[in-house]
Amino acid sequence: MSSMRFAISMLSVVGLASIIGTVLQQNQPYESYIINFGQFWFELFEMLSLYNVYQATWFLLILFFLVASTSLCVSRNTPQVIKDIRRFQENIREESLKRNKYVSEISIKNFKKSDLVSLLKDMQFKVREKKINGEDDLIVAKKGDFQKLGYIFTHMAIIIISVGGLMDGNLVFKFKEAVGIKKIEMVDKPISEIAKKSWLETSNFSYRANMLLVEGESQDVGVIPVKDGYLIQDLPFSVALKDFKIEHYASGQPKSFESDLIVKNKKNGKVLNKKISVNKPLTVNGVTIYQSDFQDGGSKLNLNLIDLYSAEKPLAMKAAVFKHNILIVDDQKLNFEFEDFRLFNILDIGLEESKKPTNVGPNFRHKIRDVTGQAREYETYQHPMVIDGRYFFMSGMRNTPQEDYRYLRIPADAERSLEGFMVFKNLIRDRKKVTKATVEIARNSSEIKEVSRNLANNFQAIFDNFVSGGYNNIALNIDENVPDEKQEQVAGTYLKIIHLIADRLIVDFQNNNSTSSLFNFDDVSVFTQDALNGYSDSFFYGSNFWIELKDFEHIQASGLQLTKSPGQFWVYLGSIMLVLGIFCMIYIQEARLWIVRKKGSKKVTLAFASNREHLEFEKFVLDTKAKIKKFYLN
Amino acid sequence: MKKEMYDYGFALLLTLVGLYALTNFYSYMDQYEVAILVGSVAGFSYMGIQWNRFKYFFIASFTLAFLSIFLYQGDLGQSESNFFLKYILSSQSAIMWMTALFPLALLIYWFYLFVKQEFYGSLATFMVWAASIFATAGLLIRWFESYLVDLDVGHIPVSNLYEVFVLFCLIASLIYLFYEEKLQTKKLGPFVLIVINAAVGFLLWYTLAKNADVIQPLVPALQSYWMKIHVPANFIGYGAFAVAAMVSVAYLLTGNGFWNRYLPPKEILDEMTYRLIAIGFIFFTIATILGAVWAAEAWGGYWSWDPKETWALIVWLNYAAWLHLRLIKGLRGNILAWWSIGGLLITTFCFLGVNLFLSGLHSYGEL
Ligand code: HEM
Repeated sequence: MSSMRFAISMLSVVGLASIIGTVLQQNQPYESYIINFGQFWFELFEMLSLYNVYQATWFLLILFFLVASTSLCVSRNTPQVIKDIRRFQENIREESLKRNKYVSEISIKNFKKSDLVSLLKDMQFKVREKKINGEDDLIVAKKGDFQKLGYIFTHMAIIIISVGGLMDGNLVFKFKEAVGIKKIEMVDKPISEIAKKSWLETSNFSYRANMLLVEGESQDVGVIPVKDGYLIQDLPFSVALKDFKIEHYASGQPKSFESDLIVKNKKNGKVLNKKISVNKPLTVNGVTIYQSDFQDGGSKLNLNLIDLYSAEKPLAMKAAVFKHNILIVDDQKLNFEFEDFRLFNILDIGLEESKKPTNVGPNFRHKIRDVTGQAREYETYQHPMVIDGRYFFMSGMRNTPQEDYRYLRIPADAERSLEGFMVFKNLIRDRKKVTKATVEIARNSSEIKEVSRNLANNFQAIFDNFVSGGYNNIALNIDENVPDEKQEQVAGTYLKIIHLIADRLIVDFQNNNSTSSLFNFDDVSVFTQDALNGYSDSFFYGSNFWIELKDFEHIQASGLQLTKSPGQFWVYLGSIMLVLGIFCMIYIQEARLWIVRKKGSKKVTLAFASNREHLEFEKFVLDTKAKIKKFYLN
Repeated sequence: MKKEMYDYGFALLLTLVGLYALTNFYSYMDQYEVAILVGSVAGFSYMGIQWNRFKYFFIASFTLAFLSIFLYQGDLGQSESNFFLKYILSSQSAIMWMTALFPLALLIYWFYLFVKQEFYGSLATFMVWAASIFATAGLLIRWFESYLVDLDVGHIPVSNLYEVFVLFCLIASLIYLFYEEKLQTKKLGPFVLIVINAAVGFLLWYTLAKNADVIQPLVPALQSYWMKIHVPANFIGYGAFAVAAMVSVAYLLTGNGFWNRYLPPKEILDEMTYRLIAIGFIFFTIATILGAVWAAEAWGGYWSWDPKETWALIVWLNYAAWLHLRLIKGLRGNILAWWSIGGLLITTFCFLGVNLFLSGLHSYGEL
């Protein structure tokens, strides 16, 4: 098991398993896996723990074998390494020196033994002297012992890092779960109702828990997501969120998230006030608190429900994110579920060409669920946005979360408010005013009374048709009653008539309300056209109500992460050792040198050896030889 | 004696520039950034002393950058109106010069390989140096420009794919130039420049198709001094692995009668591959560890099995295996060469593929 081959195969398996974990997104909600893979594959993958590869028992087992194999390797090789470091190899025989690859002879006048030794010492060699055969001189020198220590360093490092990692893994929990002491909670419920089996005590050795903290509130437990469920982690302190702040760049992108926290120790009541932000966490009682994300914390919204198909006064609704409001419409119970509020929204829009990220202001999301349980989702912006140089209020709708939102655009009036459109939709639904307008338009087109009355009736019918179902109705009508070849021409005429009547209605309104500046446009007919389009599209909006956001109280929630990680120290220690070790192995030249001088001889023999005999070593040999030659020349 | 004078002069110059930065921008720096600055002065001085040409390269790059800063006069709009900025010294034009010089160098290297006239070899080397100078100046200028966009937008240009691709080209070419000088052979240029030009190609496509060269502010997670260390260390690793793979290509070609006439001996190529992988490995190790330390600070855990982290581990394991085979089994030859080429594929996936195909915490440079 301590063999290289075993280690390398284990490494390959770790590599492959890790790849699976990156290709298959980990720790997603299980429903999304079912949707993606279908029931059969979902179950197979679940059996193999592929949704949490890195916590899977088999994965940990491989890691364990790797650590075991490396440990064995280290324990087997270390004595030899230490022996090598200690040993000078003084007892080498002459024949084996002669067979050395790097052997050479230098002519000398006299040996100058002690000077040679100090020269070698200057060159960072460790030196030992000896007599052989009772009369010849042998000098054994060596350097670069650290290169061998490097092996011990790197491999010990790997063991230490792995042990640190395992300390921070969830082995203890896995064990407790297996013997039935602990159980993963699968159902969303209030903390007070969660069984003790799903709680982890403060004494828990290591964890990474999340906490969603609403401004002004306080909490003393964290939630640990595990597989398809979660666990509750009791904390040694409570955390209260005084304030949550997002700062933005001039372009609107978020620049920083900051939480102003009050941390209170449960045991001694000590209180700590501290601001944390991304990259600037806080450590208390061995637990580190990180800023991880943020959410709405239940913002309060003051809304106006404007019925698009009635002239009645808007309905006021007080709502809050995460709360439901029920409304009875035409005897139908509608459940309004508010889901999110965002103060800033950065979209790529702008006037004409200069499209760039811009903050378009607050929006909110809600669902409308009917009695059958079907829900449509809506996303509505508070302020009008510039599109093609004109201002529109936008609200998107989709039937399922998989779809994109389709937006209903309601044109803003000249005061950039919704008021103009509300006046408009009341005007077009006002029989009396419409009749008056059609009659006037008809009169202008024909002097003859009979003809003009007929025209007026026709106009009215077309307009009614539009009001009750938008352009879609008109199209259906034409499809039924007009021969194919004339349809296009007739449609054009109808659209013109509708636009004409609508324009007329607005002009009449302005004449009667001369103080109103709602329609003070350069060209009001552009507004009319947009308003007609908006009205027509509203029939696909799936709701009678346009919801206007009057004002709001923004309440945020900060997403915190709480980490207790006793293994971190060991991982870091191991990492330092690893780097030092690799450095030693790669950059320290290990070398041995034997110098033999036969008694009275005019020559010395040099022999070099190293456990890494590559080009760099050859260069080292040449350099060293040159220095020794020079020494003897002087 | 004369060389030493230059060495001291260079170190002194760098110290002065460092001191200038320190006195003027001290209030914008935290203690870590001060440490990084001091470390950089020491590190670059050392490199300049060890490697003479690095001095000239360094001075040339900084001169161009300072010239550009002078021309900007604190107004980003100058890049449209000032002739020099518009065509040479704005970061985008400097980087465009880089993207023009690298392909040119590639062509000349290949010409040199077959014609064997030293002049062309030197010319190609000169082109690579020039491209590197433009790359460095371009990055430095971009750094400065980011502060002109807005003081709080300013950041070191290693924060998205566009910027790190320039960094990659730069580091790979410096690594290559170092060995070219040390081993006294220009015959590897034709191969190494291929991988650099592949990066240049991607960079051009990315710039043109995606407008990737726009300077964007940093998301909160990236606002850390760690970025200044982690990313460059990583790219020394990537750069070295990439160059090693190209040397391995040359290695595989030698042994064939035709190529033998043109390429350096196998032992040199083998040794060079080992050196490159060794240096890449040590930097990659350091970078991965620093990444873990940073993750512990930004994400709340030193290891989250995020796709980028995981792939970094895979790359690391791959080269650890390579080193084991070479050092312990004493393996040499074609298998290791092929392995090192395969290593480049894994490295590329870690560097680029993860951003293209996988989602995770690291998705800063998405396409
Ligand atoms: C998790 C598994 C392992 C990792 C990540 C690992 C990593 C390393 C590294 C980074 C080096 C340095 C290579 C260099 O000089 O640049 C090395 C060398 C070495 N490893 Fe491993 N190793 C592992 C397991 C093993 C095992 C199980 C053995 C047992 C046979 C082993 C034996 C060696 C030896 C003998 C050396 C070289 C010593 C020398 O020649 O100086 N390694 N290893």
